[in-house]
Amino acid sequence: MQKLVNKVKEIIKNKEVDVVIGWGKGSLPFSATPIFVETEEDAKKLIFDETSRNNLTTYLTKDKRRISKDYKKIGIVVKGCDSRSVVLYAVENQIKRENVVLIGVPCNGVFERKKIIQLAEGKEILDFQIKGEKIILKGRNFEQTHSLKEVLCDSCLTCQYPDAPEHDYFIGTPRKEVNVPEAYKVINEFGEKSAEERWAYIQEEYSKCIRCYACRNVCPSCYCPECFVDQNDPQWIGKTPEVTDSIIFHLIRNLHVAGRCVDCGACVSACPVDLDLRIMSKKVEKEIKERFDYTAGTDINEKPAMASYCENEKQDFIMG
Amino acid sequence: MVKIKKTGLNEFIELLMKDYDVYSPADVGKKTAFKKINSAFEIRHDITNTHLSPKDVFFPQSEVLFQYSDDGLKVPQRNEKPIAVWGMRNCDTSSLMMLNKVFGDAHQMPGKDMYKDPYWKMKYDNCLIFNQACNEPLSTCFCNWFDGNPFAEKGADVFVVDTGDHFILEGVSDKGNAFLAKYKSGEEATKADLDKIAELKKTAESYLPDVIDIKPLFAKMNKIWDEPIWEEISTKCINCGACTFVCSTCHCFDVTDEGKGKKGKRIRLWDSCMFQIFTREASGHNPRGLSTQRVRQRIMHKYNYFMDNYEQHLCTGCGRCVQVCPVNLDIREVIKQVLDYKLSKNEDN
Repeated sequence: MQKLVNKVKEIIKNKEVDVVIGWGKGSLPFSATPIFVETEEDAKKLIFDETSRNNLTTYLTKDKRRISKDYKKIGIVVKGCDSRSVVLYAVENQIKRENVVLIGVPCNGVFERKKIIQLAEGKEILDFQIKGEKIILKGRNFEQTHSLKEVLCDSCLTCQYPDAPEHDYFIGTPRKEVNVPEAYKVINEFGEKSAEERWAYIQEEYSKCIRCYACRNVCPSCYCPECFVDQNDPQWIGKTPEVTDSIIFHLIRNLHVAGRCVDCGACVSACPVDLDLRIMSKKVEKEIKERFDYTAGTDINEKPAMASYCENEKQDFIMG
Repeated sequence: MVKIKKTGLNEFIELLMKDYDVYSPADVGKKTAFKKINSAFEIRHDITNTHLSPKDVFFPQSEVLFQYSDDGLKVPQRNEKPIAVWGMRNCDTSSLMMLNKVFGDAHQMPGKDMYKDPYWKMKYDNCLIFNQACNEPLSTCFCNWFDGNPFAEKGADVFVVDTGDHFILEGVSDKGNAFLAKYKSGEEATKADLDKIAELKKTAESYLPDVIDIKPLFAKMNKIWDEPIWEEISTKCINCGACTFVCSTCHCFDVTDEGKGKKGKRIRLWDSCMFQIFTREASGHNPRGLSTQRVRQRIMHKYNYFMDNYEQHLCTGCGRCVQVCPVNLDIREVIKQVLDYKLSKNEDN
């Protein structure tokens, strides 16, 4: 942690950047909060740990933010998934890579707060302590111990790039790509169910959507200046939380981020009604990988899957 | 006061269901919300605040205002029984009282014929509210900043305390007393029960945060509309609508038509001041095109504009927005930030 603070102090002092976006201590036990560091003094507030859930790169592209208006050079603290988002932005010409300074941090996975809430079964967890591979959750008059894996984001459990493949500085020594043999286990199992069962699950799940668009707004890959759901001339989609409209919203959002999703899991964590959003996004990721051998945000010189064409690509999905 | 054994609650709820459609905290997927129940066994007694607020019961996220066809307009009527809500908390009940000022009868101005919303009134006017004491307020609760209390009875028809093996029910309104009189199987609460309630209240209050004086908030907000504080507050906001949709008092809505040919319906649905489309005009101009302006609107509406119109803050301190905000933009900190803010201009100007 001190190394991170020192590095940020140094690049602010050297005027390498105007601001550094990082995580500070949040007001809830399992949530850090985004902070915008402009001075060496403020750099002391920076933290990085299992609570650093947000993918902060989302602040780089979102339309009309103060951040993209006021600063020429932005430093940003990145986990593996976050650094892949920056690569995506560079590949898609949303930012100039030389205008951002990436400070990579070694990531062992971040907390999924809602899993912790689930584990507590109605009681409130106020504090925690990590002991090796275990986590002790502490409430007012009780403690319960779980394996750390039970409280990490699903996307962290299948993460192949924990240590910011793209970075300018790295705090510590980055690990190489991690091999995850069962990255698509959940998707494959779901795929083995009958079409009726899958449809029933999707309908049941997405009927709970309240259309707050938190998934879209936290998503670094969702940066359209105007989302199709916000257009009303013509209006593409019904505005009520009717399940058919909600499914259309999620399907189209998934297709819009096809080959662009870095599986940071920000949408899953942000959803206030706990939808299984990854059942769609991970499936799309798998398809893109198998068909086009493309993984978003891993190569800054590679054209995006949806923007390139090879003659020998399989086209069976077009005409059945 | 009526004392009901927890194991015998279903009998009470069944009696309630004879006269009312009963809603209570229940599981909805992996979350909890106020849901219409068919038996006491669906009630989640073990939680304090539900994830989603109870406003949905009276002001649904989407509500058909009328249907149209060649035969003319058809306005939906409520043919069902009146609504009873079990397991409301003081903050929940207070929020309904606030909404009743906007949509219902609670706010009247002398000499002015105030609009009353029939869709709200047909649900709210005959409802029966069971307000349950919070034995264990959450760490995100701050009702005590807004005159709330985990054991407050205000606005309830019946006040309920969970004493462990029993529920103690106390009629607060005439409506509440009239219903309790129908229930014959309960025991009478004893002195020991009253002592237990006093003790639970004391413990519950000890869990609340320190009270801060929010009286100066309104006047302070009158002066900061064009101050840079809003940029500081809003920088990390990503403008999703999660806070407004889980909020028990946010009540802005949109009206949309869904139809094909000569048939269709007009629907009222929740809207959110966090969305950029919320104020976008037909010309394309948007008076609140910036995130900063939208965040300011939400905070000002809660702690200034509503005060102007209805002499109270539009917040009950339930903490739901604190729980869901994806970037941990904590409204308690915003309030403190505003109170501590030093104006950049001379106050006299």
